[in-house]
Amino acid sequence: MTTPVLEIRNLHARIEDREILKGVNLVIPQGEVHAIMGRNGSGKSTLSYVLAGKEDYEITEGEILLNGESILEMEPAERAAAGIFLAFQYPIEIPGVATMTFLKAAINAQRKARGEGELSTPDFMRAVKEAGAQLNVDSAMLKRPLNVGFSGGEKKRAEIMQMALLKPALAVLDETDSGLDIDALQVVSKGVNALRDGKRSMLVITHYQRLLNHIVPDVVHVFSDGRIVESGDKDLALQLEAKGYADYDGQAA
Amino acid sequence: MRPAFPVRLGAAEESLIAQLKAVGADQVAERVTVAGLPTRRVEAYHYTDLKTLLRTIPPLAQPANEATGTGLRIPGAFALSIVNGVVQNAATAPEGVIVGKTHGGVLTNRDDLLVNVNGVLTKDALSVTLEGQVQQVIQIDHRIEGEAAHVVDATKIFVADGASVVILETFSGSEAAHVGNHATYIALGKDTNVTHVTVDLSARATSHFSTNEYHLADGAQLRTLVVHAGANLARTHLFPKMSGAGAHANVTGLNLVSDGQHADITMETTHAVPHTSSQPLFKSITRGRSKSVVQGKLIVARDAQKTDAKFMHQGLMLSDDAEILSKPELEIYADDVVCGHGSTCGKLDEDSLFYLLSRGIPKAEAETMLVRGFIAELIDPIEDEALNEALQGIVDTWLLGK
Repeated sequence: MTTPVLEIRNLHARIEDREILKGVNLVIPQGEVHAIMGRNGSGKSTLSYVLAGKEDYEITEGEILLNGESILEMEPAERAAAGIFLAFQYPIEIPGVATMTFLKAAINAQRKARGEGELSTPDFMRAVKEAGAQLNVDSAMLKRPLNVGFSGGEKKRAEIMQMALLKPALAVLDETDSGLDIDALQVVSKGVNALRDGKRSMLVITHYQRLLNHIVPDVVHVFSDGRIVESGDKDLALQLEAKGYADYDGQAA
Repeated sequence: MRPAFPVRLGAAEESLIAQLKAVGADQVAERVTVAGLPTRRVEAYHYTDLKTLLRTIPPLAQPANEATGTGLRIPGAFALSIVNGVVQNAATAPEGVIVGKTHGGVLTNRDDLLVNVNGVLTKDALSVTLEGQVQQVIQIDHRIEGEAAHVVDATKIFVADGASVVILETFSGSEAAHVGNHATYIALGKDTNVTHVTVDLSARATSHFSTNEYHLADGAQLRTLVVHAGANLARTHLFPKMSGAGAHANVTGLNLVSDGQHADITMETTHAVPHTSSQPLFKSITRGRSKSVVQGKLIVARDAQKTDAKFMHQGLMLSDDAEILSKPELEIYADDVVCGHGSTCGKLDEDSLFYLLSRGIPKAEAETMLVRGFIAELIDPIEDEALNEALQGIVDTWLLGK
C-alpha cells in the first residue's frame, strides 16, 4: 500500500489548559477528498490550525505524518512548502501588502524551499491570470491590498485561487462555505473540483451538508468533542443533515 | 519668565553660551544662561529633555574641504549641498530653479531655543526659488564632515504660484558627536503642489535637530514626510501654517528607532483662515531599548471656520523594551470645525503573521512584509519613482540592521 498523504495518529492538542483534540485518528490516501462534519465548538477548526502549525496550540500526544514524514517539528512556512495549504474560514485582511506582491512572495518562497528556481514575472503573471479567470478574480481585486475590502465571497474565491497557484499535496478547507451565497458557493466548488486531479488530497471541514453536494467527498467523518466518532461514505452526511449530531453526544462523553 | 533659582549650567550650555557671545548674540546667550537647555518642564520638550540628552556641544564647524559623497543618491535629482553649514557651489540649475544665498536666519522667531540659536548662528542661508512644473527632484544634501562639530544651517524656499515640485533634504556625515541644527522655511504660493521629504541618515553619534516651517497660500497642497533613521538623538520640529483658503497639508513622519536611539517628531499646525485642512499622520517603529516621541498640536484660530484636521500616530513595537510616547493637543478657538486625534500602539498582528507563514513565506520575510505594509501609506504617496524606491531602501536597510 502506498503511503497516505496524511496520517494523524492519536492526536491530542490543547490551548492553554483546555484540551480540544482528544485522540484524533485519520488517514487520507492520495487523491481522496475527506469531509469532517461536526457541530460548532467540536474542535474541527482547531484540527485545521494544528495541521497548519499555528503556535497557540500545544500538541501533548500523537503524531501527524505528511507523506510519511512527521511535521510536528516543522514551522508553518515549512509545512506549506511541504505541501499543506489551509483555506481560512476567515481570510485575514492585511492593509499595505499588495495582493500580487504577496502571491509572488508565497509562490517563490515555496519554490525556493523545494530547491526550485524563482518563477519569472511573465510566467507568474500568466499563472495568476489563468487561476484568476477560473475563480472570477479580476485584476481590480488583484490590485487591492491583500483581502482588504473583499466581500465574503471574494475572500473565499481568492483563497481557492491561492490554492490553485500553490498546488498543495493536501488542501485543508476550513468552513469554506461559510458566508457564501449559492452563486459564490458554485464558483468556489467548481474551483475546488478543478483541483481534484486524482493525486491531490483534501480535507473539507464543514458543519453543513450543503457544501458536500458540490464537493462530493470520498469519505465523511463525524467529529465530536475532539475526535472522530464515525466514518462513512457521502450518505453519512445526508443522515447527519436529517438527524443532527445528537446521536453522537453520548459516545463522545 | 525668570525662575526663582538660576539653573545649574552644564558643559553643553557653557559651550553654547560662549558660541553665542562670540557672534554678539547676547540676548540668546542670556536666555541660555537663565533657563539652560529646554527640560521636560518646557511642554514642547516634555519627552525630549535636552538638558539630560545633550551633554556636550562641540565647537562651531569649520568649512570642510571635501564632502565624502552623498548619503542618499536619487537618480535624476538636482543636488545642492551644504557642508558644515557652508552652501556649496551648485551645477547649472534646471529650468524653473533659481539658487542663491541670503544672509542670516530664515525662521520666524518664536519661543524655542533651537529656533533662536539657528537664527543667530546662521551666516549664509541657501535660498531656492522654484517656478512652474519642476520635473527633477530638488535634493538638498546636508553633510557634517570631520571632527565633532556644531553645525547650524538654514534654507529658504519660495515656490511660485501654480508651481509643483518635490524637495528632498538629506542629512548625513562623518561618525562623530556632531550637533546639527538645521532650519527650512518653505513658502508655498497659490495653488502650488509641494512634496517635502527630509531624511536623517546621520551617523549614530550625531544629535540631529531640524525645524521646518511652512506657509501655505490659497489652494496650496503640501505633503511632508520626515524620516528619522540615523542619529542617536533626532528631533524634527514642524510648523505648518495654513494661511490661505483651500490649503491642505498631509504632514507625515516616520521614526525608525533601534536600541539606544531617541527620535522625536513634534508638530504644531496652525489653521489661520477658514476652509483649510490638514491630515497629520505619523508612525513609529521601535526595537531594542529605544524611544520614539510624536507630539502633534492643532491650533485653529477663532475665524478659521470649517477647518478639517485629524492627527494620527500609530506605533509598532518590535521589542518589549521600547517606549512610544504620543501626545496630541488640540487648541481650537473656532466653533464650526472637524478636528480629532488618535493614537494606537501594538505589536505585529499575530493572525496576519500566521496567514503569511501558512502560505510558505518564511518568518523574517513575513515580518518585513507586514512592517512595509504598516508604513505603506506614508511611502506610497511619494510618486517620484526613484525617490520612492530610495525611501523603501532606507526602510529595508533599517529592517536588516540591528
